[in-house]
Parts: sequence; structure tokens; C-alpha cells
Amino acid sequence: MTKDELITKLKAIIAPYVQDEEAFKKLSEDTDFVKDLKINSANLVDIILDIEDEFDIRLENEDMEKMLDVKSAMAIVNAKLEA
Amino acid sequence: MVGNDIVDIREAKKYSNWQRPRFLEKLFTSEEQQLIHDSPSPFLMVWRLWTMKESAYKLYTQTSPSRFYSPRAFQCTIENSKAIVCYEDFQCNVKTKLTSLYILSEARLSVNKMTYDVVLFHDKNPKIQSELLKSRLLEMVSKLYNTNRPNLNFKKCKYGIPKVIYNSEIIHVSMTHHGNFGAIAL
Repeated sequence: MTKDELITKLKAIIAPYVQDEEAFKKLSEDTDFVKDLKINSANLVDIILDIEDEFDIRLENEDMEKMLDVKSAMAIVNAKLEA
Repeated sequence: MVGNDIVDIREAKKYSNWQRPRFLEKLFTSEEQQLIHDSPSPFLMVWRLWTMKESAYKLYTQTSPSRFYSPRAFQCTIENSKAIVCYEDFQCNVKTKLTSLYILSEARLSVNKMTYDVVLFHDKNPKIQSELLKSRLLEMVSKLYNTNRPNLNFKKCKYGIPKVIYNSEIIHVSMTHHGNFGAIAL
């Protein structure tokens, strides 16, 4: 999967939980789920479960720990897909 | 020093589904899952435990500045009226207020009274909500320290942890919002 394909898939997963649509339009690898998109921490777990379903992977506690921005989410998904 | 967290009950019902597969396993230890299953209202227990974990995390990150997402590692115990959260060597006491509209928790290192001010938002815009919350926080601090608002300086560190600076004193504060509700604590 290319970087762009991965970002597109992640964007679709994140979209329903975004509270700041302006920041969402400008989404990049550096976008932070909580600080920029204002996603409620109660919904971070939903994003993690949606990622697991979409890519058919399972995330461990140590993967979840870093799941705070687009860049980390991409790195974790890539690592799992390559494993 | 305090960490707080609020859950808007209506929002949680509408936008979170605690019954979806693997949801409970991701967030809660097996002991906590047992508490949820044994509770007369599993829904309320889920969100009570969640606010306990989040408020403890917010207190922990003030003692050790950092940022991570590890709710399961913040382990809750509830015995009679005493609620405790442990994370590695860190331990704190948590008090929770439950109304028909929201669940609010405050975590402190020692057992203490809650100091919350709850704000009902009429605007959905997150920027307007956070400005309102900040303004209520500064109002609360100015009353407590008997000083005018311009003497208070609100800051957030790189991890997003808020604090108020008065003269050279750092006042530890905590802020939370979810759905239509926000809360502050000192």
C-alpha cells in the first residue's frame, strides 16, 4: 500500500470522530488526533478498533500507547502489515 | 494538584458503543470488566471507570510530563466509597460525581474534596467551548487568589497540560470537556 492510499484509508476511519473540520481538511502526517482534530479521548479506542477491522490486524497495548497522531498510526499499521 | 474528566451521558450513549467487540478488553483489566458485568448499570460503570482512568492519567502527566494512550494500564479499584487508580508506581485517589446528565471524576494524590465547576455549553464549536472553559477557570482562580484576571497567565505545556501562573507561582489546574459539558478543577 502506498503512503497516499494509507492516508486515504485512515482519513475515512477518523472522519466520523473529528470535531474540528477545518483541521481535518488540512490533515497531514503531523496532524494530532486530539490536539488538532479535537477527537475526544473516549473515541480514540473506536479509531483503534476501526483500524483493526479495516486492516485485519490486532493492536497491542504498546501500539495503542503511541496512537496519538496520523504519523504514528501509519507507522503502526505498516509495521503490522509487514509482520 | 488535580486531574479531572467528564463524560456527557447523552453523548456517550449516542457516539460510543461500549458493547462493540473488543471495546472492553482494550480499555479495562479483567477485574474492571468483572465490575462492569456485576454492576446494575454496566453502561454507567464503563463510563465511571473511564473517567477515573482519564482523571488519573491527567494527574500522572502533571507529575511526570508526557503524553500517551494507555487506559488499560491505569488500574481502578473501587471498595465501598474509596476509589483508587494505580499506574506502575503511581497511585491516586479518585472521587466521582454522578448525575442524570454527566459523570465527573477528580483524581488527587491525597483524599480531598472535589472542587469542580461544571459548564454547560450552548455552542458546538470546540474553540468557543475551550475559550469559555478557560474563562471560567481564570474566574475560579481569581476568586480563590483574590486577584484580578489580568494578573493570571494561562499556559499549556508541549504535552497540552494546562496551568495558571500568578506572580511566579504555578497553579495546577485541570480541564475536561465531552459533548455539551465541560468542567474545571483546582
